[in-house]
Amino acid sequence: MSDRDPDVTAPMCPRCRSTTIDIRATSPIAGAWILFACSTCLYVWRSTEPEENRDPDRYPEAFRLLPQQLADLPILPAIQSPAAKADSG
Amino acid sequence: MRTYQDLREFLAVLDQQGQLLRITDEVSLEPDLGAAACALTQLGEASPAIQFSNIAGYQNARVVMNVHGSWPNHALALGMDRDAPPRDQFHRFVHGYTQYPGEFRRVKEAPWQEIVVDHDVSLYDLMPLFRLNRGDGGHFLDKACAVSRDPDDPDNDDAENVGIYRLQVKGPNRLGILAVPQHDIAIHLAHAERRGEDLPVAIALGTDPIVTLMGATPMLYDQLEYRMAGALQGEPYQVACTEKGLDVPWGSEYVLEGRMLAGQRELEGPFGEFPGYYSGCHRYPVIEIDRVSHRKDPIYDAVYVGRPWTEIDYLQAMTTSAPIYAQLSADFPEVSAVNALYTHGLVVVVSTKTRYGGFAKAVGLRVLATTHGLGYAKVVIVVDDNVDPFDLKQVMWAISVKVNPDHDVVILPNLSVNPLDPAGQPTGIANKMIIDATTPMAPDVRGDYGQELDTPQHTDEWRTRLASLIKDRR
Repeated sequence: MSDRDPDVTAPMCPRCRSTTIDIRATSPIAGAWILFACSTCLYVWRSTEPEENRDPDRYPEAFRLLPQQLADLPILPAIQSPAAKADSG
Repeated sequence: MRTYQDLREFLAVLDQQGQLLRITDEVSLEPDLGAAACALTQLGEASPAIQFSNIAGYQNARVVMNVHGSWPNHALALGMDRDAPPRDQFHRFVHGYTQYPGEFRRVKEAPWQEIVVDHDVSLYDLMPLFRLNRGDGGHFLDKACAVSRDPDDPDNDDAENVGIYRLQVKGPNRLGILAVPQHDIAIHLAHAERRGEDLPVAIALGTDPIVTLMGATPMLYDQLEYRMAGALQGEPYQVACTEKGLDVPWGSEYVLEGRMLAGQRELEGPFGEFPGYYSGCHRYPVIEIDRVSHRKDPIYDAVYVGRPWTEIDYLQAMTTSAPIYAQLSADFPEVSAVNALYTHGLVVVVSTKTRYGGFAKAVGLRVLATTHGLGYAKVVIVVDDNVDPFDLKQVMWAISVKVNPDHDVVILPNLSVNPLDPAGQPTGIANKMIIDATTPMAPDVRGDYGQELDTPQHTDEWRTRLASLIKDRR
């Protein structure tokens, strides 16, 4: 099946199209697969996955992200500031 | 009840009962594991657990899925006969739940301590991680119990928390965790952040079947899941302690120890969630793992989450119904059972005796005001005591003949609902509906309900006899 051929090039993140890609892991039994990761949107994909998960042009529209969207994502739960110590100062 | 000291013992019982399917042919991590587990949920209400032992790229990895994913498996987890109907499983669960607190026992040694990795931790080497659904942003641990203590009250065992939160693997030793303000672990994190400290956490994966159900049960902040597990199984629940003082299930396959990082939130998601929709992306807290302990040849346990019904709906079934029942029956002892199986209780069916006209609607309103009902219970159906709320054929009969929409449907505007409900407008707000499908009672005299059919004499005896004969034929 063509969509199971290992893709070892991975120039671009399928989800956010950034080129901040590295090899995250390789299969414990050598040669079975390579796991890629994008340091911009934290997406990971395996060289043996169906094409829609590893090819930016086939990645489903609904799941795509733009790097500039990331800063606007809601924060949960709200970050608590360290309480000022009563005896400080 | 029959108890299981670990996942392996439970798998052996499932196997013996014909409820474990072993796949020894080679499978891919994607899409095979998710696809097979999803397909299992489409094969009826008695589908077995599934174990994969030949996973592409791994020497000895084993993955199990659908361990709780059918009524027979759920019954066996509760130590019941595999054929126990859901209503009996509900009453079994409620019986244990109302015995709180049970006991738990700390022991020094546990099988998960056998192999320790405490430098250069790489979860990718240690676990067969995989994507479940095509739109998931990565790999998730979705059936692990996260344990934490209140840093403001660290010696209080009752404030220790054990919960199942989805955990996205974002790096060799880095996880994201979905923790919203309502979660107990978020309270612990808030206390740690105010102290300017990271929050120590332990994550147990591949546990006995009871503690998984406890991790999925909404409990009060000062109720400890291990005491509930002890109450449910009627004997002390066994845990072992990490060096940081966190109690983890004795029978865990993997134990990950690390810290939730104070002040950090990071992109997480999406993940295909239990309402049957993806969660979208948020910035959630982050956990750094310092140490992984595991049994020899550990078993990786995962739950398939998809459009209902899937295994997660069994994990959220009686664990959701029992707390609602406990609150409801404290006010209204007439209530006999609560079915909150549908999408974590977005739909709730209650069976009750009725005292007088209008009573059932009051019971329905009380459901909305239970702790869980505040975020769920969008549709509440109230049926008579002689209708099994877990048997939808009976519930549909009650709706068919007992309901006159002009009198029996109450709609309340603008109430709170879980933000994961896609129907919220705006998100987190929905109208809620009570359907009174009980027989009208004086002074609410409507319809003609004079001569309801019952069963022929001795039907109950025949049912017992025939069920036994049918079972013997298997």
